[in-house]
Amino acid sequence: MTEGHARHDRHVIALMGNPNTGKSSLFSALTGTRQKVANFPGVTVEAKIGTARFENSEITVIDLPGTYSMAARSPDERVATDALLGRIEGTPKPDGVIIVLDASSLDRNLYIGTQILEFGLPAVVALTMVDVAESRGITVDVAKLSETLGVPVVVINAPKGRGLDDLKSTLHRTLHHPGKVLELDYPDDFLRGVNTLYNELCDLGVKLGFKPTRPEALRLLVDGAGPFFDECEEVGGEEFISKFFEIREKAAGGRSLSMHEAQTRYGAIGKWMQEVKQTETREGRTRTDIVDGILTHKFWGSLVFIVVMGLIFQSIYSWSGPLMDAIDGSFGALGEWVGGMMSDGALKSLVVDGVIAGVGGVLIFLPQILVLFLFIAILEDLGYMARAAFLMDRLMSRFGLNGRSFIPMLSGFACAIPAIMGTRVIEDRNTRLTTIFLAPFMSCSARLPVYVLFIAAFVPQMKVLGFIELQGLVLFAMYWVGVFAAIPTALVLKKGILKSKATPFLLELPSYKTPRLKAVGRTLWDRGGSFIKRAGTIILAVSVLVWAAGYFPHSQEVDDKYDAQLAEVESAYADSILEFNPEEDADSLLAQYKAIDDAHEERVAEAEEAAEDDDALEQAISESKAERNAEMAKLAAKSADAEQALSHYADWKALEERRGEIENLRGGEHLEDSFLGRAGHVIEPAVEPLGWDWRIGMAAIASFPAREVIVATLGTIFNLGGDEDEESETLREVVKNAERKDGSKLFTLATALSIMVFFALCAQCAATLAVMRRETNSWKWPIASFLYMTVLAYIGALVTYQVAHALGG
Amino acid sequence: MSTGTLDKLPIGKSARILDVGGEAALQQRLLEMGLLPGVDVTVVRQAPLGDPIEVKVMGYSLSLRRSEAANVQIETTA
Repeated sequence: MTEGHARHDRHVIALMGNPNTGKSSLFSALTGTRQKVANFPGVTVEAKIGTARFENSEITVIDLPGTYSMAARSPDERVATDALLGRIEGTPKPDGVIIVLDASSLDRNLYIGTQILEFGLPAVVALTMVDVAESRGITVDVAKLSETLGVPVVVINAPKGRGLDDLKSTLHRTLHHPGKVLELDYPDDFLRGVNTLYNELCDLGVKLGFKPTRPEALRLLVDGAGPFFDECEEVGGEEFISKFFEIREKAAGGRSLSMHEAQTRYGAIGKWMQEVKQTETREGRTRTDIVDGILTHKFWGSLVFIVVMGLIFQSIYSWSGPLMDAIDGSFGALGEWVGGMMSDGALKSLVVDGVIAGVGGVLIFLPQILVLFLFIAILEDLGYMARAAFLMDRLMSRFGLNGRSFIPMLSGFACAIPAIMGTRVIEDRNTRLTTIFLAPFMSCSARLPVYVLFIAAFVPQMKVLGFIELQGLVLFAMYWVGVFAAIPTALVLKKGILKSKATPFLLELPSYKTPRLKAVGRTLWDRGGSFIKRAGTIILAVSVLVWAAGYFPHSQEVDDKYDAQLAEVESAYADSILEFNPEEDADSLLAQYKAIDDAHEERVAEAEEAAEDDDALEQAISESKAERNAEMAKLAAKSADAEQALSHYADWKALEERRGEIENLRGGEHLEDSFLGRAGHVIEPAVEPLGWDWRIGMAAIASFPAREVIVATLGTIFNLGGDEDEESETLREVVKNAERKDGSKLFTLATALSIMVFFALCAQCAATLAVMRRETNSWKWPIASFLYMTVLAYIGALVTYQVAHALGG
Repeated sequence: MSTGTLDKLPIGKSARILDVGGEAALQQRLLEMGLLPGVDVTVVRQAPLGDPIEVKVMGYSLSLRRSEAANVQIETTA
């Protein structure tokens, strides 16, 4: 693509304009599926690069983020200028530019239009929303507009595919002629300032490493801050800075330079519009006005908002559940299937517990991400996202955020991953970074198993004030722990590290549009793909690392010890029992007894779900047991062989139990002996003040890649095997009865609360950190988040334990 | 004819902008979005919590906080 200039059949163009102008749908219409995300180092916004074809030529299209101005106070805002001048590594330099202008608010759209035209690149204007403008009584004289601006203007309707060929052929023609630089009537002092500064910048040019342009001199003069200013300060030093401010003062002539710029631009635009645009005043309100009357109404608007937000939360929190279960289940089955074909050993464990479980651990987030982005894409396309921000801004601004932060924060209660990805809707860089940092504090659904296990085991079932369940109250409180930690964090961030003089919340409320299915699908595809590609690899790597830490050294001695135990136990049984395999010998008598027994187990499991209290459950179990015994007796009565098989079945079952126990002990001992287990012992002194022992410490370390892992880890270390879940009665009992070395109970209410607070505050989620890295384009944020949350979690757990312990918990 | 700031303009009322002030970045943003001297602006509504407000300017709808609108000097003709 670098030889784009030399060959006439290849071109690079930039697509620019305001947000909500139909720029993205033009990009999709031009490039179709031939597009990818461009990586801009050091910024949080992204651009897309795609390829369009016209006759024999190939056009590379760079879709730059929609913006209202080229003013660049932050690295994110600087991207437009840098991309236009071809200064971003890995992104080709544009030969021309398509300026997208919305005919229904042409004046404001032309503001950035005039800024772009000053760069003098070959340009074509794509005029969109002509139908919307007409419905409001606005007619634009396209020929006049083209004549005035000195560039071709093409009317397009990208969703309907209208004007695209015309745009491409016009572009093709235009690219072969040099562009014309737009010259506006700036006040004399201002213009002199731009020229003087331009000369100064040219002198600095060698040190800057690029050749500055006049429009950049204008931007630097007016903005007086931002990344370009910092660069100049760095290479030009004090000498340059003092000259700069001198030039600035002269150019301003006692007024503000932004005022000069805005009045010159809008002054010119106003004059042009008198000839280009005709406005008939229409009686009555537009469709958007009528809809807004309801959607931003004090009562109805709030009601719709609550319903929509409830729907979003509910769908991420529970409706994506079945899909997640399906992914979980299929990866579990895949692991079992693959495991069944491999012989025991490190390789099998790596494949099954490391890689397959790791890939499953990446994909499990997809349903939540897709569901959230389904809503965001539809609501954004519809125009409702801006209204939601309008409604919530007051509330969010109290925490230094803005209205756009609400949906990401709400999603955080389901999962931080979609929440962090959802912060793309926030235009302001600092607000976006703050929201990204705060999202993991919201108690996500992966923390729930931890709460459920410990609350069920240690919080007594009783009512407070006669009607509030204490267990429910504690669960509710756990959700607030994160929020309470997030509030001061937000204020500190906004006042400290991310301090910006003012982050104005000027938000265009675009007219309502019908969501386009294709665009929504595109968004889902992009977001899902980008998560898997960019975050997936990191998550997988971490999963394999933690698997290795929990598996090795896997000493032979431990295996030998348990193999010997197994052999000893098995020696007491006859061959027919030892070799019975329920799957292979499905027709045997033993298998028939097993089927009866399995049916009983199933009935018990059902009863556990359905039974209202312990008495009912006990009765159901004993009924089922009686049924099983009767069926077995009936079968045994058929023949002497059948009678003997019954006693063999009982022996086989006892053997299976012993085998299971030995395997669980083996797993527990391997884990204790592993690097992870040893790390648990090492950190024991540090976690003792939290009321923990090495086992809890180790489980907490093992949970850093994914917090819900703690439940299975506790299952393994307490010799129950790794398949326990938080609802398991056995795990609950074992946890309740676990003892310290001195024989005292390991878990008390104080310890349980301390663990829960730790898990509420800790950044135990590799996926979150990976997504944070991907969205901020830097490791700085995930590292800061990890350190901050871990320290906070430690302090929180420490205070909780010490206070609860002192109160006798 | 009376002068004041945009944040105090009642809902449904229109005014002409006299001047735009505020801290440099805010002033620049207000100007870029079309709030500049000589332009007519109408307050359309306020959010249910009282802030921000929605104004119509240059034919489009803009939401801004009252604290930001306070930097916009206006005069009402009626």
